[in-house]
Amino acid sequence: MKLSPEEQRLIHNLKSSKFSKEGFLGTDSRSLEEIITDDLRTLGKAGVPKELLVQALKDAYQKARNTFGAEIEIKKNVKAVFHESMGRIPSPFCKDGLFEKGEVVVTDSANNLSLIITSLGINLIEKHDFFQGRGCRFRIDPVVAIKIFKLLPGR
Amino acid sequence: MAIGSILVSVGISVGFLLCTGLILALLLILAEKKILNYGTCCIDVNEGEKKLQVPGGGSLLSSLAENEIFIPSACGGRGTCAYCKVQVIEGGSMISPVEEPYLGPEERKNQVRLSCQVKVRKDIKIRVPKELLSVKKYRGKLLSKRPLTYDIVELRIELLEPKTIDFVAGLYVQLESEEYDGHDRVMRAYSMSSTPSDKNHIELMVRKVPNGICTTWVFEHLKEGQEVVFSGPHGKFHLSNTDAEIIFIAGGSGMAPIWGILRDIKEKGNTRKATYFFGALTQKDLFFVDELTKLQQEVSWFKFIPALSNEPANSDWKGARGLITDVVARYMPDCSKNEGYLCGSPGMIDACIKVLTKAGMTEDRVFYDKFV
Repeated sequence: MKLSPEEQRLIHNLKSSKFSKEGFLGTDSRSLEEIITDDLRTLGKAGVPKELLVQALKDAYQKARNTFGAEIEIKKNVKAVFHESMGRIPSPFCKDGLFEKGEVVVTDSANNLSLIITSLGINLIEKHDFFQGRGCRFRIDPVVAIKIFKLLPGR
Repeated sequence: MAIGSILVSVGISVGFLLCTGLILALLLILAEKKILNYGTCCIDVNEGEKKLQVPGGGSLLSSLAENEIFIPSACGGRGTCAYCKVQVIEGGSMISPVEEPYLGPEERKNQVRLSCQVKVRKDIKIRVPKELLSVKKYRGKLLSKRPLTYDIVELRIELLEPKTIDFVAGLYVQLESEEYDGHDRVMRAYSMSSTPSDKNHIELMVRKVPNGICTTWVFEHLKEGQEVVFSGPHGKFHLSNTDAEIIFIAGGSGMAPIWGILRDIKEKGNTRKATYFFGALTQKDLFFVDELTKLQQEVSWFKFIPALSNEPANSDWKGARGLITDVVARYMPDCSKNEGYLCGSPGMIDACIKVLTKAGMTEDRVFYDKFV
């Protein structure tokens, strides 16, 4: 199948590139379409709407960002801390905007789980259904996110 | 016999292929020199203020740097930091896909481009801020690397070439890291905490960023006595020429420009009233408290208010508690006649601007150095 220049550029940007030293696919051998389909299926099976997950990520990011580096408890046994970082990063998707590089590390001590939330990561899920590849430091694994934020089906 | 002739044939084939490859490579090099030879191009800076003759084919950013015009760049020309924006009035090529995400509609209208992505292939006319023309590249020697907290160090650098620097307190330099562990050289902006009167040295405060390429180099690889390279001075963060009372707000390494400005205005016999709110998490994140408290005792115009947001309630801390925004709101209910000078994380600055404007300060009186 012949790819359009835009699709070729996207594939290039998702790998280790000028945009991100690590890339967005991690060690995942699946294609972008497979990653997106699998993660949406996981969400669907759990009965959790994507919008609910995105809102939980946004709330956690904003709450942590507002405390200027102090660790806060966002749920029982779930803590979040914002690490500031200089600069901005563009989305690998064309004309999708620039995002601040700061990251929020969320840890669930009860389940021994953690996530790293970035403003770009939230945008990739919200606009493109892309949770990033396995092995990628910034992947928001839907199963992990559902457990950490204790998201319930249909709510 | 048969094996021998096969080996000879293979040898001849390999030799033929090698020769063909070499000839093709040679032809490509020659073709590139002939066909892609752009000759000498002229870069006209600010309507004839400077006219540079440069070999065509290079990036605008590097061509300018080779002619001692240093446009700020944090990524070393890789098109990821978007700091190296200049106006290209004539002679710029099409906007490249790398530039696309970084240019807003207003910037496109004003012909703004990332200079690292613009190739000089013909005569070109550009506009840059006037202050950039006085930026120089410096070579220095690290005299000391002093820990201020567990994650902030102060670097004191002696200038080797050129030996002196002229700047206004509050501005920043671009420090260049060296290659290490497979990481390329990068440039990062750090405010100068030294005073302009000390022309032979600069001081910087560097906070360790997890996985940060430059800060990891500073913390783990940079040694006292080592040579360093930086360009500067850059920026627009400095005191205005008014008499308005000053509110300084900073957090972490945002202390650097404020510390430089405070010492500078003390040296110059300042009489402008100034209150400095310094936000930190706990006592272990505080530094220069003794020095700033001493300054408060020495002069009548200065008040220092350190505030801690995460200090344990039962500790011996007697100072202000709470988020820096809440503390500022408590101490400064009316800011309508003040000017605000902020340096810290984007989140802190956004929140502080809200607090100050709510207390009556107009946005044109808020000056900040945002770490973005």
